[in-house]
Amino acid sequence: MISVGRTTQRTLLALGFCLAIAATFFFAFRAGHTARHIRGQNEPIQAWMSVPFVAHTRHVREASLFQAIHVRPDPRDHRPLRDIARAENLPVGELIRELDQAITQSAAGESPAGEPKR
Amino acid sequence: MNDQVLAALGRYGLPALFIVVAIAAIGVPLPVTLLLIVTGSLAAQGTIDIWWAIAVATVAASAGDQIGYAIGRWGGKELVLRLAGALGKADGLKHLEGKATKLGGPGIFFSRWLVTPLGPWVNFASGIANYSWLRFSVWDLLGEALGAALYICLGLAFSDRVQAVADVLGNLTWAAVGVLIATLLGWKLFSRAR
Repeated sequence: MISVGRTTQRTLLALGFCLAIAATFFFAFRAGHTARHIRGQNEPIQAWMSVPFVAHTRHVREASLFQAIHVRPDPRDHRPLRDIARAENLPVGELIRELDQAITQSAAGESPAGEPKR
Repeated sequence: MNDQVLAALGRYGLPALFIVVAIAAIGVPLPVTLLLIVTGSLAAQGTIDIWWAIAVATVAASAGDQIGYAIGRWGGKELVLRLAGALGKADGLKHLEGKATKLGGPGIFFSRWLVTPLGPWVNFASGIANYSWLRFSVWDLLGEALGAALYICLGLAFSDRVQAVADVLGNLTWAAVGVLIATLLGWKLFSRAR
């Protein structure tokens, strides 16, 4: 009875040990994979970001991004995109799409459409 | 929730950093690693002063850790277990309690910046185990200062890649947790085999 208990305990320990090793390799591989592609991929725009933050991460002028979403350029405007979208009565996804378009145009050397409103 | 926390940092700066880091140090699951990296990015953009950011994050994390330690020491084991149960971590805490005194200072130090998911539970366990408050505070402050400086400086260096850096660090942290668990289980397994 005691030996069965010990065997079960050792089996569980061995199983846990193998799982921990597997998890270590899994997370290390994922870390390495992301690290290898860190410079090649653009940072996705999120609702918590402000326009100056997006401009910094995507290497574009913030004035052109403000212009693209019809907001008066202000470097001290640190409102998150979600708040801007709410103020403009727009879904935040649409605002992000407009910013993405403006960034693509900016990269292609075109000036984004739209006039500052406020 | 994560979005609101990160948006608050952009809007309110250091006060938001202090509140979020302190609450997370008590054990509430908040995206602190990403928050510190974003803080570094904001420092690179000139919105936040980097030295103030490191100081505020260190003090906030230490304050949260002290609350965790105090709950463990003076709130009693039952309160901590109830709290851990509410956060779904009761078993892990029972396991850590016995280890707290044995692991001592290095255990506290490394759980501040390397195996961060264990941090709040090490605080509770240290309090329950009556680990010396002075030693706890010294190791805690050293670890939190290193963690804050490390993550904020990474955000400063990779200010245009904050989410990718946070992703890498998140995976590395769990890999470190995996190494720790494998070492503990391996030691148990092979010491029994002998």
